[in-house]
Amino acid sequence: MIGAIGARAIEDVSSMGQFGRFVWRAIKACGWSLGRTTSYSLIWTQMNIIGVRSVPIVMITGAFVGMILAVQAYDQLAGMGLEEHLGVLINISVVKELGPVLAAVMLAGRVGGALTAELGTMNVTEQIDAVRSVGTDPVRYLVAPRLLACLLLTPALIIYADLLGVLGGYFIGVIQFGINSQGYWNFSASGVELWDVVVGVVKGFFFGVAIAVISCYKGFTCKEGAHGVGQACTEAFVASFISILALDFALAVVFKAFYNTFWPLKSLVS
Amino acid sequence: MEENEKNNQAAGNDGNGIIVVKNLTKKFGNKIVLDNISLTIERGKTTVVIGPSGCGKTVLIKNFIVLLRPSSGEIYFKDKRIDNLPERELNSIRIHYGFLFQGGALFDSLSVAENIMFPIMRHYRIKDWRQVEDVVKAKLAMVGLDGFQNYYPANLSGGQRKRVALARAIALDPELILYDEPTTGLDPIRADIINELILKLQRELGETTIVVTHDMTSAYKVADRIIMLYNGRIIADGDAEHIRNHPHPVVQQFITGQVSDDDLAVLRASGTISKAQFLPRDFEE
Repeated sequence: MIGAIGARAIEDVSSMGQFGRFVWRAIKACGWSLGRTTSYSLIWTQMNIIGVRSVPIVMITGAFVGMILAVQAYDQLAGMGLEEHLGVLINISVVKELGPVLAAVMLAGRVGGALTAELGTMNVTEQIDAVRSVGTDPVRYLVAPRLLACLLLTPALIIYADLLGVLGGYFIGVIQFGINSQGYWNFSASGVELWDVVVGVVKGFFFGVAIAVISCYKGFTCKEGAHGVGQACTEAFVASFISILALDFALAVVFKAFYNTFWPLKSLVS
Repeated sequence: MEENEKNNQAAGNDGNGIIVVKNLTKKFGNKIVLDNISLTIERGKTTVVIGPSGCGKTVLIKNFIVLLRPSSGEIYFKDKRIDNLPERELNSIRIHYGFLFQGGALFDSLSVAENIMFPIMRHYRIKDWRQVEDVVKAKLAMVGLDGFQNYYPANLSGGQRKRVALARAIALDPELILYDEPTTGLDPIRADIINELILKLQRELGETTIVVTHDMTSAYKVADRIIMLYNGRIIADGDAEHIRNHPHPVVQQFITGQVSDDDLAVLRASGTISKAQFLPRDFEE
């Protein structure tokens, strides 16, 4: 019993170490890729696959988030005669939390699953070994372009999700429930600061990196056969999802501390 | 066992060995796949590694190119120890190798031409694309597939895929080509095409060839030297004649393709219908 627990603990620590080394290699490979114009075509291709093709699904997610928030919150606020405050409630929720997190979760499913399945299949059909056999580092060739594409485009996709979330909330609140448009936007403008938008977008960089490295690592280390690839995809999504939530929490704490310390100084500068 | 000990004593480079392996052991967990193997692969010759499925043939040649690293022992390529090199340094060694994988391992997202260009593009700064296209054409012509440049791997048959993979393997004009089960899964005619290609490339390019196979027709046709692996050790090593007349019962059993008496007895003792087996009448109402 103790032996089994010990063996499991050693295995877990060892795989954490392997993951750490993989992340470090991926970061170094990204630096190498950025320094070579020949790598840009690979990055561009991945940006198209990962980013451009994710735009519709991320926009739909954002729009529904905004609309659902409006439907759920309207009755409570209208009961107190505060329906014009609906805008601030929806927009701050969308740009700061729900937009980034739900867009990232959608990307973990759509992009992360595809990355793990593609690299996992390449692994079990020896294509990754084939890359190595011709003297090419597979982390540079396969991981770096995907990681850079996720890093650069997740924040951009979050902006799309935010935009559609705001429009979705406006559509339900103002067009469907008849809230005064001017009041709706005035309260929104007074309640949502640039800081809130920046926080949401900056989270996207962290979420993008987490999705890419976890998905690529699971693909690179997946076990033989269809079952192995399927299991790797499931593990990649679960790990990405938990990482998104954990990172969201950690970043919320860090940004809050940062905000409390530095944001008041803004008035001294401006 | 004698052959293994003989190789252990002889391993060392007399100047003609392109690959020298000393006391190579490879374990996966507690399972020993290769057990203290020592051998020298001679330059310009075709060495065939035979042995039953799962005996460690593929693991052995993946160690030669350090796609797998030994658990213990040393591997030298042209007198340079390579098993302990970091991946970055290995990349400059691996361009001297060509590796034909068992399933071809073609990149499915790339066309045939792009697959063959891949090693060239990764190692050279291309100034004249027409020159690269000429190289691709020449390599495809060597394997008899010129005109297939724009096909994708999914549109090729098993034999064509292996030939394209071979064209990719020779794209950088390697000094050493490793073939992992080149004829497995092919019909006898297509298998013979691959054998002829191995001979042709060896003749025209003069490179060192290592073939892993359990196809004895192929082994006899292409080999200058045959090595037989069994339970992770070399049990026979010599030319085709030496292997044909080898006294070891496992060697004779393998090259004649006969099941052992013990295995036969087990098969005959087991019934063909078990009591738990369902019959069609079990499903009739």
